Amino acid sequence: MRFAFTDDQRLFAEGLRDLLAKECPPALVRDVWENGTGHSPELWAHLSGMGVLSMLAPEADGGMGGSFVDAILLFQELGRAAVPGPVLEHMAVAVPALASTPFGASLIAGESIATLWVDDSPYVAHGGVADLIVRRDCVLRSFKSTDAHGMDGGRRLFTVTGGERTDTDVSVAGLDPFDAMALAVAAYLIGLSERMIEIAAEYARVREQFGKPIGSFQAVKHLMSDALLKVEFAKAPTYRAAFSASTGATTIARDISMAKALAGEAAYRSSRSTMQVHGGIGYTWEADLQLFMKKAWALMRSYGDANFHRRRVSGVVLA
Amino acid sequence: MDLRETADESTFRLEARTWLEANVPAEPLASFDTAEGFTQHRRWEKKLYDGRWSAVSWPEQYGGRGADYIKWLIFEEEYYRAGAPGRVNQNGIFLLGPTIMEVGTDAQKEKFLPSMASSEIVWGQAWSEPNAGSDLAGIKSKATRDGDDWILNGQKIWASRAVWADWCFGIFRTDPEAERHRGLTFILSPLDLPGITVRPIAQLDGDTGFAEIFFDDVRVPVENTLGEVNKGWGVAMATAGFERGVSLRSPARFSEAVNRLVALWKRLGDKSDTALADAVTDVWMQAEGYRLHTYQTVTGMLEGRPIGAEASLNKIFWSEMDVRIHEIALQIIGPEAERMEGPLERWVDGFLFSLSGPIYAGTNEIQRNIIADRVLQLPRGM
Repeated sequence: MRFAFTDDQRLFAEGLRDLLAKECPPALVRDVWENGTGHSPELWAHLSGMGVLSMLAPEADGGMGGSFVDAILLFQELGRAAVPGPVLEHMAVAVPALASTPFGASLIAGESIATLWVDDSPYVAHGGVADLIVRRDCVLRSFKSTDAHGMDGGRRLFTVTGGERTDTDVSVAGLDPFDAMALAVAAYLIGLSERMIEIAAEYARVREQFGKPIGSFQAVKHLMSDALLKVEFAKAPTYRAAFSASTGATTIARDISMAKALAGEAAYRSSRSTMQVHGGIGYTWEADLQLFMKKAWALMRSYGDANFHRRRVSGVVLA
Repeated sequence: MDLRETADESTFRLEARTWLEANVPAEPLASFDTAEGFTQHRRWEKKLYDGRWSAVSWPEQYGGRGADYIKWLIFEEEYYRAGAPGRVNQNGIFLLGPTIMEVGTDAQKEKFLPSMASSEIVWGQAWSEPNAGSDLAGIKSKATRDGDDWILNGQKIWASRAVWADWCFGIFRTDPEAERHRGLTFILSPLDLPGITVRPIAQLDGDTGFAEIFFDDVRVPVENTLGEVNKGWGVAMATAGFERGVSLRSPARFSEAVNRLVALWKRLGDKSDTALADAVTDVWMQAEGYRLHTYQTVTGMLEGRPIGAEASLNKIFWSEMDVRIHEIALQIIGPEAERMEGPLERWVDGFLFSLSGPIYAGTNEIQRNIIADRVLQLPRGM
């Protein structure tokens, strides 16, 4: 029994954190929101170049040959930076599921962009920038996308019609694509939460009222500590779910559901507490916090919300 | 990362399970906070010691098995699974013992550890004072040097197990000029010395699980000093780290409690009440999350990444979870939740006991301050 990442896994995640600090600052996320398509081709190229996008593709197909345990900290780092665009959809589902199909080579190289449409939503996130849409039983190309005006400008929603359909059974190392995505999103939500807490802690250190930094007040300390508590206790279940996914454990559905439920609730608590700590500025378009909060609100409801996943755990535990 | 047990770990688990199945008393013992129960529990601890199961993570020379933390967690899982008795000497074996191993002299290790492992000496904790609770650095009890002795004077309160314990470990002010955290010394004292008066305090459940201890010119030799003179705060914080961190409340305790809760829900729960089912599942996930988190913490400790202020996160998490487990149980058992005796009394007792968790070992509000100051690096307040 050893519950820790290897040095290589940690170093790769740190490398990604450094890359994103430089290439995906809040200013870039904001620019993508306000002026762009919800996607940054330059950032995409950086992620592709580092091997992030192809982490879950077999080496024989030109990928990095990694497992979900290798990838889980990367999902978390992507969340810390609120990376825009269909990165998770592409990386956690399309690449591993389609690696050995005719679509594989250009997906692994990051030349074509895929998104995912497997939940019950009438909308397809990133439909406007994707070349392919992955469904459970097929791949769609040449479809028509109409903007549905999603709240998160880095995850634009579209309604999709038409398209050229190629039938194929989509599975990610034995996992349903919905579960693979729920796992990736759980880790991404943890990263978002960590970053929101860091931003609010920084603000609480410098913002003064009553002649003192607001972070010196216990009411503020306790809000922040409670948010951190939920985030820290969502991590180990999420890493365990990654291990279960990597090893094909029989408890995989339960484990992923537990991770997604806990991470979603942690992210929501983090968003509420960190916005409250910001006071009025937290309720503005100008504050960077919104880039993270809105992503959290979008993702906590996608690929099963906390209630959905808690009931799935119930189905196993209370059976 | 490999969350599967090694062959060696499975062998250890099987050995523990086999021994416990053969030795755990068939009938539950009386509460160790009663005279009769205390004696029964001391006898049980001796049996554990004779089987070398009382302090599995300790070195063999002191009566342990030199088991690593992973094996200690496995042992705890088997211990709770077997429904074995509560640990009457937990203040000693899980708190003071590791502290002695860290800062004690060789003579102190020889003198105190084997008798602790066998529970020939049962330990009580004497830290808090009437005016030094959350503000523990406000300690006023004094130790004054007289030749080769300390003369102890003052009053301690909420001293766990002190009613029937043999010795206690306390913190005393040794430099009257020094303020707050400075000038304190960690001193070990027998509880039957002239000048010591122990006054039991009935807890919320009526048992006398803690006491006041009055020291009136009590003389103990200076060899009973643990760590350096005037450096007792650091020693105490090392002990508190063990307490808040992994040692006092191992995850197995809660895994076992939620398994009983799930069984209770299956037997008595209203299946049409989906909110109740959600609550049971929620707390099951918390217990499972705590277990996983602990395995991760312990792996980090084994690989040289020691636990720091994050230990305060654990303390908040397990204590609030324990209350929640019992709140849900009482909701399920309905009218029986009002009875102190009956077939479901364990849940009622457990509920009362769980309410102490957010208070002792540093209130959860103090823990939140520690997290804010030392993990989140917020400016000090107060």
